[in-house]
Parts: sequence; structure tokens; C-alpha cells
Amino acid sequence: MGQIDSSVKTLKTKTYILLFLMMALGSVGNTIFDKGMKDLGPIDFSSGAAIWQGAFRTFTSSTIWAGICCMLLFMVCHMLVLSWADYSFVMLFSAITYALVPLLGYLWLGEYVPIARRIGIVLIVFGVFLVSRTPPRTTPSISNQSVS
Amino acid sequence: MRTALILGFVVLTGTCGEISLTHAMKRVGEVHEFSPAAIWRVLLRSLHEVWLWIAVGLMAVSFYAFLTMLSWYPVSFVVPATSLAYVAGALGAKFLLRERLSATRWAGVVFISLGVALAWADMPTAQHLRNVYTVSRELIFAASLAPLAFYLFGAWAAWRFFRNRDRAAKDAGDFTPPVSILKPLRGLDLGAYENFASFCRQDYPQYEILFAVSNEEDPAVPVVRRLVRDFPEISIRLLVNAEAKGTNDKVGKLCLLAQEASYPLLVITDSDVRVAPDYLRKVTAIFRDPQVGAVTALYRALEAPSFGSVMDATGSLSFSGSALVARAIEGIKFTMGSTVAITRERLAEIGGFAPLLDMHSDDYELGRRVAQKGYRVELAPDPVDMEFPSEKLGDYLRHELRWLIGLRHVRPGGHFGLLMTQGIAWAAAAAVLAPSLAASAAWVLAYLIIRLFSGYVVGVRGLGDPVVRRKLWLLPLHDFFWFFLWLASFAVNRIEWRGLVFTLEKGRMIPVASRTGSG
Repeated sequence: MGQIDSSVKTLKTKTYILLFLMMALGSVGNTIFDKGMKDLGPIDFSSGAAIWQGAFRTFTSSTIWAGICCMLLFMVCHMLVLSWADYSFVMLFSAITYALVPLLGYLWLGEYVPIARRIGIVLIVFGVFLVSRTPPRTTPSISNQSVS
Repeated sequence: MRTALILGFVVLTGTCGEISLTHAMKRVGEVHEFSPAAIWRVLLRSLHEVWLWIAVGLMAVSFYAFLTMLSWYPVSFVVPATSLAYVAGALGAKFLLRERLSATRWAGVVFISLGVALAWADMPTAQHLRNVYTVSRELIFAASLAPLAFYLFGAWAAWRFFRNRDRAAKDAGDFTPPVSILKPLRGLDLGAYENFASFCRQDYPQYEILFAVSNEEDPAVPVVRRLVRDFPEISIRLLVNAEAKGTNDKVGKLCLLAQEASYPLLVITDSDVRVAPDYLRKVTAIFRDPQVGAVTALYRALEAPSFGSVMDATGSLSFSGSALVARAIEGIKFTMGSTVAITRERLAEIGGFAPLLDMHSDDYELGRRVAQKGYRVELAPDPVDMEFPSEKLGDYLRHELRWLIGLRHVRPGGHFGLLMTQGIAWAAAAAVLAPSLAASAAWVLAYLIIRLFSGYVVGVRGLGDPVVRRKLWLLPLHDFFWFFLWLASFAVNRIEWRGLVFTLEKGRMIPVASRTGSG
């Protein structure tokens, strides 16, 4: 019984660590992309040469590459967590970012958050709370022999 | 319509991509070690998974469609609208990945979807509500076309199948391996003697018929004894006191019958089936192809003496249509109680009848297991006849519900997919939302014409069903009942079968309590 409790605890711990990493990397990556693209200015689509020039500027920007690295790490975390956790758990839990973005905007930047958005944030947080009350995995585990 | 299409596309491709990715990672296996080298090895292994590449393709397409949507509409519409992906993802997780979604997790889906929609939608909401209404209406119109396409496809599949029937009949003849016909019995069906006698009148060189009953008191016993007297030239055996082995009494008897059977080819039919004299020839001829693992048959009603049995007969027409569609798309992957023909060799490969002892849909399951082994399941060219008993509407509804619950357990994806075959419900929804009375009438009329046309091609021209010929006009009423039964089958898990109450767990019947006075 003790072993089962311990394995459930380990499963939950590693799931939540990776989910929080995903959220952090996803948010940071998107913010960096946002900053990088704003720094570059609007891309000119008026001619083929202008598009190539825009693409060159984009992919030689260190900020954009920092964003790409964050998103790649986000994808790795996403893949790892899906190797054991339910898709329905991961998908629903990661919805918390939809609540975090307006919430952080309000707390850090003092943006105005209308009442409907506040209700939406409360609903998302409550929904994620409900999901966190369910087990991260409901399907049989398949062990990764070569890795474990 | 453009909005609905792009939204549906974004949600569908995104969800399918995520589900493919999950499937790929589940195939790679659970990661226990998190050193960079171990993670690197997992990533390399995942690159060998074809599902990963499918996922990447789908997600890339979805992302591009999402960007396109953003270029057409404000983000305050796009993000709330795509929160539909949570519902689609939850459904995909349940039906494709077989995850268990508890009521709490479903509640989470609802709260999160509403929350995302509210948090990202701009105020005032009136415009958004109008947009949501417009998109929903367009989605429903688009979805309403699916059952109509299904009916037309069913008619085409039936036309193709029955067109080739005569050719198949000509091929029958010189391949006649000895056959054991197995008949597990419990009680008497309408026209039982004639049903049994039709198997004694087969134009076939060598075969035997084996019956099994639980005890001497079974009313079928004197009928079988009379059969033995009337057909002395046919090898007929009656096995009495068949010991109950599992919860499925029929499979228990089949275990015994298979043990006693003398010949290599087994043909199992329900007790209410009646066949033509060339039935065995046509069924066995299909086994000439060694890739054929099992043969099953469509069925039609000989007579339907009550309203309940007429509904049953129109239901069998519907089922035949679906089976022919399945055959045209991916081949038949199941068998039906009307006929299950299988060689001993193939039966041994799937472990005999014993693994089916507690299964509710034993005939369906047998075909599925044969197909899983890589063999084809074929349809006999002719349908068999069934004498539908006089039953009340309540009895009909109960056994259809039981069948649907069984289907939900053995093939949850297929059961859910029935949503897109519910023509009457979709036509009603489209008619309610249609912008004018004429458009509403057009939806209803389109459903009626296409449904009846499909029923005519499958039931009257194809199966030659005399009941359907007379009562085809009742087909929409069958669809009406069928829709509510389908809805109910999501909520109900208990079935009553031959006086006993069971719950189903992964297709297995678990007895709950016994009841008396029914059966």
C-alpha cells in the first residue's frame, strides 16, 4: 500500500513539475517572440525580395532564437508529460495560461480587466482546480524499458 | 459558412494532432529518468513513431489555419471560439485514447471552456452571442449533411454488394467441406420447427446439426426430437444438460457444441433463423479463399406481427445499411448472430469460444477477434430470414437499448460515431434553425426522401425484405426511437437479459441480481 501511495505521489509530483515548466516556458517564449517581432518592426510583404529580407532578419535575431529555444523546451516538456499523463488532464490543466495572461497583465502592468474577463478567470481557475482533483493518469502505464 | 468551416478545421486538426502526439508518446512509454541523456534517448525514440510525424503535420496545419482565422477575425472572437477544442479534446481522449473522464473532469471541461470564452471575449457580448449563434447554426447545417451522405453511401454500398451477389452465387458449388451446424437453444421461437427444418433441407453433401439445451424441460426439446424423426437421413444430435459455464449461456453451450462437432467448418446461427436450401453452399464457398477467417450474413424479416416487431424489422434494415457502409469503407470487422461461420483452425487461433464466455456481444466480438488476427470477415451473398416474434414496443425498445449499451462497451468510437447517422435529429435541428419556413421544409423533405430512398435500395431491392416493403414509411419513426435510445445508452449501464440483471465492464457481463418472471 505504501508503495502504491509513493508511486502515485511521484507521478503527481513529476506531472505538476513538468506542467509548471510548460506554462513558464510557453509564456516566456510567447513574450520573447512578441518582443522580438516588435523590435524587428513590421515585415514588408510588397515583393519577394522584401519577404526574404524579412525572413533573414527574423532568423538572425537572437531574441527570436531565444523564443524558439523556449518553445522547443516547452514541446519537450509537453511530450514527456504526455508519455504518462492523460491528454485530457494535460490539455485542461494548461488552460490556466488563459487565466494567467490577463491576471499578470492586471497585477504587473495595471491593465484594466473588465468584469466578464474576471468571471472568466475565476471559471478557468475553478475548472483547473476541479481537474487537479482527478488522477493525472487513468490509462495503464507502459514502461519505457530503454530509459528506465 | 466560411467561419464555421475554418473553426471546425482549426479545432479538428489541432485536437487530432494532440491526440496523435499523445498516442505516439504512450507508445514510446512512460519516462522515469530525467537526465539529459535519458531525455535525449526518449526524443530519438519518439522520432521513429509515425504518429509523432502525423501529429507534427496536423498541428502545423492547425496552426496555419489558426493564423488565417486571426487574419480574418479579431483575437477576441478567435480565442473564445477555439475553446471548443477543450470539448473536442475531451471527447477524443475518451473515445480514441480510452481515458476515463470522471464527472469532475467533465465539469472541469465545462468551466474551462466557458471561462476561456468569457475571459477572451470582448464586451458587449450581444455581438459575440450573435456570432456564436451564427457559427453554431452553420456548424449544425454542415453536420446535418453528414447523415444524408451516410444514407446515400449506404444505398451505393448496398447496390454494389447486391449487384455482385449473382456472380458469387455462380461461384458456389464445388467447394463443399463437411460442416457442423451448431444451434444453442433456450426456449422456443416463433416458427421454430420450420426454422430448424430449413437446415435439414440443405442441398449439401455432408453436414450434421448439433443442438444444445440446458435441460430436458426446455420446450425446444420435443421440437428437436420431432426433427430427428422427420429427417432420418440427416445427422442430428441433441445435447442436454449443458452445464452453465459463464454469464453468457449461449457461449457456454457453444463451447460444448464445438467440442462435440465432427467437422472442420462450424456454422453457428441463432435459433430464430431460417435459410434457403443453397445457404450452406453459398456460405462455405467463401472459405475457398484462405484469407477468409469468418463469414456472417445480413438478415431480413419474414413476418412482423406487431408494431414492436415492425420497428425491429426496420431496425434490421438500418443495421444492414450500416454493415454495408462498414464493408465498403474498411471491410467487415465483426460477425452477427444470424450467421457465424468459422473453421476450427481460425477458432483455435482466437482461443476458441472460452474467452467469450462472459461477453455480452459474443457474436460481434468473435468476428472482431478474427479480423484482428488479419483475416477477412465476409458477408454471405444472401440474407437469412428471421421470424420476428410479436413483441410490445417496450420489449423492442429494451432490447435495442441493450444492443446499443453493448456496442458502447465493445466499440465506443463506433457508438459515438452514430451521432453522425442520426438523420432525423440533425434534420430537426437544421429545420428549427433554418432562416425561413421553406428552408425548414427543404431540410425535412431532403431527410425523408434520401432516407426512404436508401431504405428502399437496401431493404426492398437488396435484402428483399417483405416487411420493409410494406412498412418502409415507418423508417423515420424507427429513426426517432433510435435517436433517443442512443442518447439513453450513454447514461445506462445495466442490461436485463433472460431474467437476469447485469452491468457491463469492457463488454463483459457482471451479474447484479436475478429477477423472476421475465425471460
